[in-house]
Amino acid sequence: MSSDSSLFSNRWLPLILVAPFMLLVVLFFYVPIFQAFYWSFFLERPFGGGSEFIGFDNFSRVLADPEFWEAGWRTLVFMVIASSLAVVVPLILAVAADRKIRLSLPARNVLVWPKGVAGASIGVIFAFIFNPFVGILAPLNGMFPGIWAPGLDGTDAFITLIAAHVWGGIPFNFVILLAGLRSIPYTMYQAAAMDGAGPWRRIFDVQLPLIMPQLFLTLVLEFTESVTSAFALIDTITHGGPGGATTLLVYKIYTDGFNGYDLSGASTQTAILMVFVVILTAAQFVFLGRRVNYER
Amino acid sequence: MIENARSINIAASLILIVGIVYIIGPLYLTLSTASQSYEFMLRNGLAWYPGDQLFINIGRIFTETRIPVQMLNSLTVALSIAFFTCILSFLTAYALVYFRIRWAGVVFALILATIMLPLDIRVITTYQVASNVFSPLNAVLDATGLNDLIAAIFGARIEFEWSVLNTHFGLVAPLVAHGTGTFLFRQFFRTLPADLFKAARMDGAGPIRFMVDVLLPLSRTSFAALFVLTFLSGWTQYLWPLVAASTPDMTTAVVGLARLAPDQDGAVPDFPMIMAGAVLVSLIPLAMIAFLQRYLVQGLVLSEK
Repeated sequence: MSSDSSLFSNRWLPLILVAPFMLLVVLFFYVPIFQAFYWSFFLERPFGGGSEFIGFDNFSRVLADPEFWEAGWRTLVFMVIASSLAVVVPLILAVAADRKIRLSLPARNVLVWPKGVAGASIGVIFAFIFNPFVGILAPLNGMFPGIWAPGLDGTDAFITLIAAHVWGGIPFNFVILLAGLRSIPYTMYQAAAMDGAGPWRRIFDVQLPLIMPQLFLTLVLEFTESVTSAFALIDTITHGGPGGATTLLVYKIYTDGFNGYDLSGASTQTAILMVFVVILTAAQFVFLGRRVNYER
Repeated sequence: MIENARSINIAASLILIVGIVYIIGPLYLTLSTASQSYEFMLRNGLAWYPGDQLFINIGRIFTETRIPVQMLNSLTVALSIAFFTCILSFLTAYALVYFRIRWAGVVFALILATIMLPLDIRVITTYQVASNVFSPLNAVLDATGLNDLIAAIFGARIEFEWSVLNTHFGLVAPLVAHGTGTFLFRQFFRTLPADLFKAARMDGAGPIRFMVDVLLPLSRTSFAALFVLTFLSGWTQYLWPLVAASTPDMTTAVVGLARLAPDQDGAVPDFPMIMAGAVLVSLIPLAMIAFLQRYLVQGLVLSEK
């Protein structure tokens, strides 16, 4: 669609076509975002108790709260560990499934299944499987009492969350990375083999460089995903515990807003989290995106 | 292969076996535990082999919980999300690609931004908007002074109020406001040859006719892919139905399942029944993946490019 002669020139029809969707986007995306920033400058009382402009007081209150910084730090830790695992594990699986071996077809089928299991469902399932009394590690606890205690030990709870997150993230990343691998022309491998590159060497010198666009995309999407998808897992596996060890920002915002009725505080944290996500995505495009070569 | 690569093929097979066990393992343990009795679970913990209690446990889900009703809700909500996302995204992408409009770039950027900040992040204020979808209109009336004018003339201010909380519409609409579908259709339209458009115009087709008779039939696979993708994401939503539906009869099955699990401590929960619930809740989306996998994979790949 390059030249303008190949386009319709109606004036009102495109407006009518776009209007319903844009109405929803404005109402349920832009208005809430605006309101989060707007409320972060007001003291908002619950149950329609009125509001009062207080400038940056909400921000100074939130930023002075150590719980906010702890939740933010945990969000960052979760983001880095969980999302890199959620890209690396599917990457290894995709490289393996790209080979012509007997298992690759069944694997391509099975590895997509988690897409049909809700985050909250897998949370309920993992809460059971990793239950210290009846779960898979219960025998271990019989031998070394207290070695696995996600209800008491924050690290154990964190590990459970990450295992569940990676489980749910496999389908999308696996499919994208495998599609990238399969689009590499066969002649590339032949050329590399003639230059003396063995099969292991070809993984690092041919396959990985050529799927950089897909790797970059999965990483960008996975970062946002890890900030948000964690909610369902936390709410079903750990409830933010033990002792707040798994309270990430997205969970803290929910509990502050819906259980604590602190609308101003929750909105302020929402605003900060949104700015953080946008900056992070932009930074990835600036620092990583520039190095990605889209040419084949 | 180019040369004999036994060692790497063996390593790849081992990796795939580990991957398959990691995915299937939890699902198998869910199913096997769901087919054991509560007493068995108390005695032996996790069930490594299936028993004969599966249908009894599923029967208890039907008689003792609201999950059957909630599954109907999930079906309604997921189908509506998929249907409306497909239709609205198609229309929007069509307008952006095939019309000479100056604002196309701006609108597309506004739509793409929705992918960056998912609903889970902005849930607090989205909830407020859903509790009165006219609140932006009221704010505009107040801010522009129009309301003061109306108050001066008619003696009372105008306040519109319409809460979509605890309705199917409220569960669906905020999730439709997402840019993936528009992105997918736009990419697809741009791969179609420009001659197609010229030929249709030479034959005298107007914009509506071109859309219905040319684009719609060509987009069949894109529709299927997007439909499967959005249905699955609609079915598996958690945070939004958790806050937007306030009664057990209005919420979705995933939320209902999470409510079955007690809030820690106390007696060991009735895991066989909860696992039977998990099996039931995941049955429809898993069946969909089994039968429509081709479209799902296509949708995932298309939504990326």
